Amino acid sequence: MYSLNRILIVFALTAIPLLAVTSFAAETGRYGIGKTATIEEIAGWDIDIRPDGKGLPKGKGSVLQGEEAYEAQCASCHGLFGEGEGRWPPLAGGEDSLTEDRPKKTVGSYWPYASTLWDYINRAMPFSAPQSLTPDEVYAITAYVLYLNDLVEKGFVLTQDNLASIEMPNVNNFYADDRPDTNNERCMKNCKDPRNIEVIQSLRGITPDQKKTTAEENPAKSKLSEAAIEGKATYTTSCLVCHASGVAGAPSLDNKDDWAKRLEQGMDTLVKRAIKGFMGESGIMPPKGGNMSLTDEQVSNAVQYMVEAE
Amino acid sequence: MADSKKPETSKEYLAELTAHVPPTSRRDFLKKGVKFSTSLAAVAATSEALSDNLPPHVSSWSKSLGTGVVSTPYGVPSKFEENVIRRTVPWLTADKISSISMSPLQELKGIITPNGLVFERYHAGAPAINPAQHRLMIHGLVDNPLIFTMDDLMRFPSESVINFLECPANGGMEWRGPQMEALQFTHGMISCCEWTGVRLSTLLAEAGVQSKGKWVLAEGADGAGMSRSIPMNKALDDALIVYAQNGEKLRPEQGYPVRLFNPGWEGNTSVKWLRRLKIGDKPWHHREETSKYTDLMPDGRSRRFTYEQEANSVITSPCPENPWGQKGSYEIEGIAWSGRGKIKQVDVSIDGGVTWRPAKLKGLVLTKALTRFCLPFKWDGSPGLLQSRAIDETGYVQPTLSQLRNVRGTNSIYHKNSIHTWQLQSNGKIKNVQLK
Repeated sequence: MYSLNRILIVFALTAIPLLAVTSFAAETGRYGIGKTATIEEIAGWDIDIRPDGKGLPKGKGSVLQGEEAYEAQCASCHGLFGEGEGRWPPLAGGEDSLTEDRPKKTVGSYWPYASTLWDYINRAMPFSAPQSLTPDEVYAITAYVLYLNDLVEKGFVLTQDNLASIEMPNVNNFYADDRPDTNNERCMKNCKDPRNIEVIQSLRGITPDQKKTTAEENPAKSKLSEAAIEGKATYTTSCLVCHASGVAGAPSLDNKDDWAKRLEQGMDTLVKRAIKGFMGESGIMPPKGGNMSLTDEQVSNAVQYMVEAE
Repeated sequence: MADSKKPETSKEYLAELTAHVPPTSRRDFLKKGVKFSTSLAAVAATSEALSDNLPPHVSSWSKSLGTGVVSTPYGVPSKFEENVIRRTVPWLTADKISSISMSPLQELKGIITPNGLVFERYHAGAPAINPAQHRLMIHGLVDNPLIFTMDDLMRFPSESVINFLECPANGGMEWRGPQMEALQFTHGMISCCEWTGVRLSTLLAEAGVQSKGKWVLAEGADGAGMSRSIPMNKALDDALIVYAQNGEKLRPEQGYPVRLFNPGWEGNTSVKWLRRLKIGDKPWHHREETSKYTDLMPDGRSRRFTYEQEANSVITSPCPENPWGQKGSYEIEGIAWSGRGKIKQVDVSIDGGVTWRPAKLKGLVLTKALTRFCLPFKWDGSPGLLQSRAIDETGYVQPTLSQLRNVRGTNSIYHKNSIHTWQLQSNGKIKNVQLK
């Protein structure tokens, strides 16, 4: 007990100068926490691009190069002409439609800056394999999407030097938030004539069923091969985007007829087309579904899963 | 976003709705009421197990032992609450990876949303991040570019705030007409939590922002690299770098291990899975602040950087999921909120906005947080048109749908905060309607 007291006294004495140092740090707004970010560390993450072109890496890409890359990596969701498949975003068209009852907001009709296109393709596309494109590929695909919107000529080559000078048609039609824009008053009595109230009913039949929605999460109960079990994770991260819904003519997971037709050509052909890419009658299969970081084995297992899963 | 189908229009006049219910339909109602209670009795009678648990019988769980401690080390709700879940509207988005789900507001009490029921919004799915391998970088126009580990972030002084989080598309499916027969789908893109973290201003002071630094780019570590430009005055005002919600670490759906949180602002600015803050002299005009999250107006021009969530409210009981049964005493209850501060007052109308009565605010009334309101009500079986109207401390009065449409048309997608109408039918059922 005696020695414990002595320890406490020693601690109390040393604690006083320590506290003084701490409060000094807080007063100057510096806690000394964290480490300096090195130039290399920053360079690896510093991907943002601004309308003035700040942030663009050195590189170039032509409309023609972009056409090839776009058809392989983008068209399955965005359509061959940027028209958009299913509910995936259209990229082209819609000029002068912004005041119409059903405006069509695309890169050409709506986006104010070309830099946004470069930045977004670079950080988030292709959907199943973000940050996988080289700068030259991003320049090329950006050039092609601009071409689909009639904003550049077919011979155009996009570079870090000319991107900021591309003027987008809708650039001057954005303005700062000017809300509040309504001025309702707190009326309490006789606020309106009850006879003028018209009641509009909702559409019937579009509210989702509110019983349990978790049933569809049930994993395939059938006995999957080892390859198929391995392939399920790849399917979920890289293939499901198109193959769950059947976008762009992709055979959907639960359509056995679709798969039976394809299986007639043999499993090897199916796997080869999934790895190398394929343009068929009903749609486009981009090489490895657009995710080039997948190994051939991963793609092969994913195909196995899709064939076996019910 | 809105569906292409036009809503059906039925001309029902309020005079008919609110006039005294004719004696015949009253008798109808009584008959229906009787039918309803007899059918309940029938259910009870056929289910002996149920009646065995009711007085005068001693229930089975009173005559046996329950489960022991840590039988569920992380607790889960009663199995009888299995229908209290987040839900999505499948036709709204192309897939579930870039999509949204809604909180079951119809089942929630108080102002705090349980962590498992906070609405989800992903632009490229929720990543599974190992916190030991996650870093937050601050660079750009700063004197000391810094990298923080999660342990570093937790050494800074922390703060906890209770604030709502709302997607600006909340209600956006109904610009053209009522579509959804469920509160969860009309208003469920909102949740309210206690958020804990370090002030962004503290981290910015640590890095030393240079005088030209006026904007902060916040960027996520998800596959969308979700990015938004945040003005410096918000960053220095009340923005938080958050690592916990409702007492525990952030859920993966909410940005684990760390997110930005901008109180009162549209949810997407509170960038999740935050990996980078870059200080600059101008905004970046990235995809989620140009192509999306800008508000198209009828003249073809668009508002941008529409950050604030204006005052809004909705009645949560009754609602399509919570109809009334027999006549008698009820509490009309709901939630109100404002991104500009505290809720000052909520008024309730049962006649479609002809007459309004002040509701009572109950429980905590906090800035930029969900606020509960209620109005005791004795229902005589008459049909009605139920509405709530929020007023915040700036004096802003929640607008009618017509007022909003007059200024914004029907194509601005975001920020639809108009007064909502539930049609109370004489059988106690609630329909989602709009008034012209």
